[in-house]
Amino acid sequence: MSGVNRRDFIKTSVAGIAAATTVGAAAKSPNAATKTEYPVVDVAPLGSLAPGAEVAFDYPDADSPAVLLRLAAPVAGGIGPNKDIVAYSMLCTHKGCPLNYLADRQMLVCPCHWSSFDPAKSGRLVIGQASQSLPSVQLDVADGMVRATGVDGLIYGRHTNIL
Amino acid sequence: MTRVPLPPKDAKTYRTVCQFCIVGCGYRVFKWPEGADGAAAPDANALGVDFREPQPADGEWISPAMHSQIHEKDGKTYNVAIVPDNECVVNSGMASVRGGGLAQTLYSPKRGTKVRLSTPLVAKAEGFDNASWNDAVDLGARVIKAVIDRWGADAVGMKFFDHGGGGGGFENNWAVGRFFFSGVGTRTASIHNRPAYNSEVHAAGDAGLVALTNAYVDAQLADTILIVGANPYETQTNYFLNHMIRNLNGESADLKGSTFPGEDAPSGRMIIVDPRRTISVATAEAAAGKENVLHLQIEPGTDIAVLNAISRIVLERRWHDVAFIKQRTEWQTFEAYQRSSLGADRDASEFVRVAAELAGVDEKDLYKAAEWIAKPKKNKARRRTLLHYEKGLIWGLKNYENIASIIDLALLSGNVGKPGTGVSRLGGHQEGYVRPPYPGGRPALNVDEAVHRGEAKVFWVGGCNPVLTTLRAEKMEATLKERGRPVRDALVRTAGRPVGERVTAVVEALKDGGMFILTQDIYMTATARHAHLVLPAAQWGEMNITSINGERRLRLYQRFMDPPGAAIPDWKIMALFAKRLNKLYQQDRNPLMANRFLDYDWRGDEDVFIHARYSFKGDGNDPPEGYAGITYNLLKDLGNNGIQTPVRLVNRVPVGTVRMHEDGKFFTPSGKAKFIAAPRPWPGYASAVERQRKNYRFWINNGRANHIWQTIYHHRHIDFYRERYPVPLLEIHAEDAIELGISAGDLLEVSNDVGTVEAMAYVTDAVKRNHAFMLFGQPRGAVGDLISDHVDPKTTIPYYKGVWADIKRIGPMPESAKTASFLPRNIAE
Repeated sequence: MSGVNRRDFIKTSVAGIAAATTVGAAAKSPNAATKTEYPVVDVAPLGSLAPGAEVAFDYPDADSPAVLLRLAAPVAGGIGPNKDIVAYSMLCTHKGCPLNYLADRQMLVCPCHWSSFDPAKSGRLVIGQASQSLPSVQLDVADGMVRATGVDGLIYGRHTNIL
Repeated sequence: MTRVPLPPKDAKTYRTVCQFCIVGCGYRVFKWPEGADGAAAPDANALGVDFREPQPADGEWISPAMHSQIHEKDGKTYNVAIVPDNECVVNSGMASVRGGGLAQTLYSPKRGTKVRLSTPLVAKAEGFDNASWNDAVDLGARVIKAVIDRWGADAVGMKFFDHGGGGGGFENNWAVGRFFFSGVGTRTASIHNRPAYNSEVHAAGDAGLVALTNAYVDAQLADTILIVGANPYETQTNYFLNHMIRNLNGESADLKGSTFPGEDAPSGRMIIVDPRRTISVATAEAAAGKENVLHLQIEPGTDIAVLNAISRIVLERRWHDVAFIKQRTEWQTFEAYQRSSLGADRDASEFVRVAAELAGVDEKDLYKAAEWIAKPKKNKARRRTLLHYEKGLIWGLKNYENIASIIDLALLSGNVGKPGTGVSRLGGHQEGYVRPPYPGGRPALNVDEAVHRGEAKVFWVGGCNPVLTTLRAEKMEATLKERGRPVRDALVRTAGRPVGERVTAVVEALKDGGMFILTQDIYMTATARHAHLVLPAAQWGEMNITSINGERRLRLYQRFMDPPGAAIPDWKIMALFAKRLNKLYQQDRNPLMANRFLDYDWRGDEDVFIHARYSFKGDGNDPPEGYAGITYNLLKDLGNNGIQTPVRLVNRVPVGTVRMHEDGKFFTPSGKAKFIAAPRPWPGYASAVERQRKNYRFWINNGRANHIWQTIYHHRHIDFYRERYPVPLLEIHAEDAIELGISAGDLLEVSNDVGTVEAMAYVTDAVKRNHAFMLFGQPRGAVGDLISDHVDPKTTIPYYKGVWADIKRIGPMPESAKTASFLPRNIAE
C-alpha cells in the first residue's frame, strides 16, 4: 500500500496547482473524430520535475484522477527536453479501481484485480484483465509549465471523455 | 477512441457466453443500426445506466474494446456491444482480457478479421481457386468414397475439435462424431490438441470419477485449494478472480458461515504446484497473505513424486478419511495403492526426503501441504480441500500416473462429492462432448503416425492447426507438403475437367503415397495452406451453439450476426458431405453404406441439439454432459446461469447437478471409487525424453499467456493483443540471461535435435535457472517444432511440457520490441 500513501502525499502537495489553474483556453482533441473540446490545465512547472517525479492531478475534470510521471529514460510519446514525461488516467480500464504507481518498477498496478500497465509503452497492459491500454493524457509545455491538453483513449466509466 | 456509442433502448439484445476459456463468463450482446445510437440518460440507453455521470468502480461500462461495427448481408452497418453480464454467477459482471475484446473478433471487411475464410477453396498450382459448396462437397465426398471403397474406412484420417465454446459446441460435435464414427466408421481419429482419440484423464475415468466434479462455488467454500500444473489467473481467469480470490481474501466468510454452521471455516489457503512463480502465485499471496499460500516450485516432471509424498504423509499422520475410504472406495485398490504408489514398505521420512530432493523443494513444505490438505480441523471436522489440475499434469511426464496421483490424494483425504471439495480439471476449452462411440480401442491409434506412414489417404482437419501445435510439428508440415504435392499436381492437371476424371487422378496420386487434405476453419491457418479443399466455417455468434463450462453449466450462445460470405456452421458442412455420400452410395447400389449417411436433414441449430440428446435419459445414469429434456427455449429462459449438467428429469422437470458424486456413487461397476496404483512412486523420464534432457541445457516449459487464446488465430488480427506479444514470449532467468548475453526484447533461437524456433526474450525471476517458459502454438515460433514424438504408451498422450533445448541470442529486434512490454508479469503489489 506504500504506493497509495506516496500518491496521496503528492496529491495533497500539488492539489492547489491542479485545481486552481484551469485555464480558460481550450485545446483541440488529438482525436479529430470526437471534436471534443478539452480544457487546458497546468500540471506542474517543467523545472520542478526531477527524474522520478510523480504528480497527481485531475483531468479533464475532478472525477478523473491522473498522474504525470517523469520516467528514467526517453519514451515514445514523452515530452520535455528528455522526452521522458508522460501522463495517464489513474482509473483501471478493467473495472475502474484507482491504480497504484510502483515507482521502483515504473509500473502502474491495480489493487482490485492486479491489471498492470507500462507507462513507458503508451500505457500498454502488461498483464491483467483490462482490454485496452490506459488512456494517456496529452501534454505540452508552455512558458515552462507542463499542461494537460487532451486525452487519448476512453477514460473508465464514460461513454465520452468530456461529460 | 475517446467515445463509444451507446445502445438505444430498442437495441436487439442477446445473451451469450465468452467463446474462449473453460470458465465461460456470461455476456450480453446489444445490436443496433448505425446512426441509431442511444443517449446518456438512463431511459435512453439499453443498459439503463446514467452515463451523464462517470460510473463508479465496479460499475457497468462499455469499453472501446467491447464495441465494434459489423456489416450484414442486408447491406446495413450495425453497432455491436458485448458487455459482461452482471447477473451471471460465473463472472458477476467481470470481463477477462480476452472476453473484454469479444467484439473485436467479429467479422468485418473493414478490420483485421476481414481475412476470414468466406468461400470454399480448391487447391491450384499456387494457392487456391474459389469453388461453390456444391463442387467442393462433390469433389471431397467422391474422394472420401473412393478411399473407403479401396482402402477401407481407417484410411480416412481426421483431427477435429471436440470441445465447447467457439469452434465447437454440442451441435457441431454431434455432427462431426456422427459423420466420422457412425458414417465413415474410421478409427483413425484424433482430437484437436493431441495425436489420438483419447481421454486426457483416463486415470480419473478408471477411478470412477468425472473430469469436472465440483461447482465454482466450492472454491469459495474450501479450506484449502490445491492447484497443480495450472496458472488460473491467466488461463481460468474469472474462476480464479471471482471465486478463489473471494475465499482467499475472506470475502466468502459469510457464505462459509451459512453453509457450514458451527464449523471452523476461516479464509482459504492455497497451494500451488508450478515450476514458475506465476501471477497466480503473486495474486494469491496478495489476497491471502504470504503465510496462507504455499508455492511448490518443482523441477519438471516431479509432480507425481510430490503428490505421492504428500499422500504418504497424510497416511502416516493418520489424516486419511477412513470412513470415506471404507464406504466409498474399493478397499483392495487402497491396499495396492499404499504398497506401490506410496511405497508403504519404505521408511516414510526417507520417502518424503527423496521426493523433496527430486522436486527441488523444501521437505518441510511437503509436510505443510499435507497438513493444509488433510489435517482434521477443530472437533475432528474433515478439512475441505478442492484439488485442481490442468495441463502441467495432463501434458506431463506420464499422463496416466500423473492424473492417478491427484485423484488418489483426493480419495485418500475424502475430498470429493461434498461442498468445498472436489478433484477436477481446471480446463482449457469449454466442454460440449456428445458423439456416438469412437470405434477404436485403447490405447488409441496414433494418427500423426498414420499420417506420416502413409496409412491415412485422407486427412481432414477441423478447427485446429497441427502444423503449430502437434508434437514434432515441423515433421507434420513436411509430411503434409510431401504427401499433398502429388494430389495437388493431380488437381492442377485436371483443372476444369469433369469431377469423375479429377477423382480418378487424385486416387492415382493416393496410390503413389499421396494424401488428400481437407481443412475446415474460420481462417487460412498454417495447416490450411497445405490443404486441397478448404471449407469455411461459421464462428461463435454466427450460429446458435450450446456448451458447458468447468462446473458443467449449460448455456445457449445465441446467434446475433451473419457469417461471412458462404461460411456455414460445421454441422452443416458435415451434413452436406453426409448427404452427398448417401447419394453416391445409392447410385452405387450400396444401401449398406448409403444408410450410414442417413438423417442429416437438420433444419437449424436446435434440430442438431435435440438429435444429439437422444441417448440421454435424465435418469441419473447419464454422462456428465447429459442434457435430457433441455430445449433452446428453456435455455433462453434460464439466461446466463443456465443449468448444470447432468440434468435429471424429475416429473419431467429438468433438475441440474451442482456437484458430482454427491450421492457417494462413482462410475465403476461396483459404484465405488478405485484408487489407481502406480507401479512406482515416480516413473522417471522415458528414454527419448532423458536423451534430450541430458543433451540440452534449458527446460522449455510451455503454455498459454493471459492475452492470447490458443494459436492466436483471432488475436493476431487485433492490434491490442498482437502488439503485446508480436513474437512468442520466452521467459528466462536473469542470471541465465546475463550469462548468455541476452537482454529483454532480444530475438532468440531455441533449438534441439527435433527442430529450431524463434522467440523473444523476457528476463524474469518467475522461472528457475535453466528453466524457460515459452508461449505455445504461435505462428512466428511454434514450440511444437521442438517436441519429441514420445507419448505415454498407456494413453497416447504426449509429454508436451517435456522439451529440452539450447537457447542462443540472435540479436535485438527493435521494431517488435517497441510494442511489447518487458515489465515483470507477476507483480501484485
